[in-house]
Amino acid sequence: MVVNSINFWVFFAVFLIPYFFLFRKMMHQNIWLLLASLFFYGWVDWKMVPLLFVVSAFYFFLGIKIEKSNQTSPKKASLFTILGIVAGVGVLFYFKYFNFFVGEFSGLFSAIGIHVNSSDMDIIMPIGVSFFTFKVMSYVIEIHRENIKPTRNPVVFAAYVAFFPTILSGPIDRPTTFLPQFNERRKLDFCNLSEGLKRILWGLFLKMCIADIISSWTDAVFSGYGHHNATTIIAAAVLYTLQLYTDFCGFSEMAIGVGRIMGFTVTENFCRPFFSQNIAEYWRRWHMSLTTWITDYVFMPLNVAFRDWGRNGIFLATLINMVIIGMWHGANWTFFWFGVYHGLMLILIILFEKQRKKMEKKYGLKKKESYIWFRRLLAFVLFAFGSMLFRSASVTDFIGMVKQVGQGFGPIYDEELPAIVVYVLPSVAVMLFREWVAEYKRDIHFFHSPNVYVRLASIALMISTIIYIGQLDGNSFIYFKF
Amino acid sequence: MTRQEIFEQLNDIFIDVLDLEEVELNAETSANDIEEWDSLSHIQLIVAIEKVFGIKFTSLEIMKWKNVGEMVCSIEEKLK
Repeated sequence: MVVNSINFWVFFAVFLIPYFFLFRKMMHQNIWLLLASLFFYGWVDWKMVPLLFVVSAFYFFLGIKIEKSNQTSPKKASLFTILGIVAGVGVLFYFKYFNFFVGEFSGLFSAIGIHVNSSDMDIIMPIGVSFFTFKVMSYVIEIHRENIKPTRNPVVFAAYVAFFPTILSGPIDRPTTFLPQFNERRKLDFCNLSEGLKRILWGLFLKMCIADIISSWTDAVFSGYGHHNATTIIAAAVLYTLQLYTDFCGFSEMAIGVGRIMGFTVTENFCRPFFSQNIAEYWRRWHMSLTTWITDYVFMPLNVAFRDWGRNGIFLATLINMVIIGMWHGANWTFFWFGVYHGLMLILIILFEKQRKKMEKKYGLKKKESYIWFRRLLAFVLFAFGSMLFRSASVTDFIGMVKQVGQGFGPIYDEELPAIVVYVLPSVAVMLFREWVAEYKRDIHFFHSPNVYVRLASIALMISTIIYIGQLDGNSFIYFKF
Repeated sequence: MTRQEIFEQLNDIFIDVLDLEEVELNAETSANDIEEWDSLSHIQLIVAIEKVFGIKFTSLEIMKWKNVGEMVCSIEEKLK
């Protein structure tokens, strides 16, 4: 059940009416939310509901144990926290990477006398596992760091883990900001409803008017790259980067909007990444709920542990951090090298930071628009190159695609291209214009304009664009498979 | 060493490590208040603090800090 489907909206309407009007007590509202979340998850993948139940129960009790041990025996508390991390990573590893490792290293296993057949153990990955395991691990770490107290209410905790707007594909909400939101009864509020619908509308626009129209063209180019020239390959890298952004940001906008209607503030996931001036800034603006998670729980602890190794320690932590971000997306060498690529880019930024700042000071470049746009363009090119690796089915395909650029420029692959030129390019222009306004002209608004006519006109324009050009039978979201 | 003296020393370390013209730290100051204080310079700050005060923090202590005040409490604790 995808969020941009009729089924979802029927489910959401059936859920909302009793949620706001029947259940007058906070506790009943939370129970209803939990049941709806389990139903939603079960609809997508009913076999995995017991896993969700077991994970929730385990971390609920572990949280209480850690808090008790924080007071009595800090060593025990650390051990329990490590157990929580190992269990979370273990669940992820088992469902996400086991097949991959068995397949990749079966030769090695055979050499030491262990014979494994990867096809005998075809493990099916539960949808959303990368998202809910990260939620529960942050829960126990934050209790250990004494930033939160464990909840004593199993319904609240299970509802946090299974929260249906975000369970399939994030954003990854932190317990510090999200759990307290269950402690108050949510009421139907016009502001929340209006803001939530606007976010959903924008998400639908990104998904249906950009991502889903581009996807058939990029799919064709990436799967048949051997037939294409440099012009088509470069266009595919650019368009795929736009597709990835609009697909995932579109989903995040809808998840945030759905949460908002229900009275929850879901964490933001993107902040106009195409305005980044280097790769480091990209990672501060792209999939923010994942990058901040990794920064807080992997990058900083690694940096602290390696702090006596000087710059080498920082480089090592950066590389490990980016490889983890890469591999988080799935068991494929493309994601490993995607992480290494971004890690190396970040290391280069750290290496030359002083020289860059010196040069900017000397020539007064920092505020020069031409310099800023040059940096943005360069950052986009580097990011799009990484996205090619991210999208390729294998490292061999990626290398083949890069080699194909050597074939030289020529006419672009034109199957379905008119749809992209006529529908997608104007939609991308609208998207970038809105983001440019948000970046530069903070006092100009469309959806939130103080002028009612501007507000209504921009909403009407968005709805009619979606109806007129939106891909109604669109694909599933890219991030569902992570 | 008094709390005031620790703050003064920290001020000097922050100016030196973050390459600032001046800074006025107080207990509530956090990374949100100083642009140059990011995750990387945070590590450099910790290394400098440990060196100047001749102390060693545990990872958990460092991860628990939310502002300069908590950092100073840890330093005081170590200097006792």
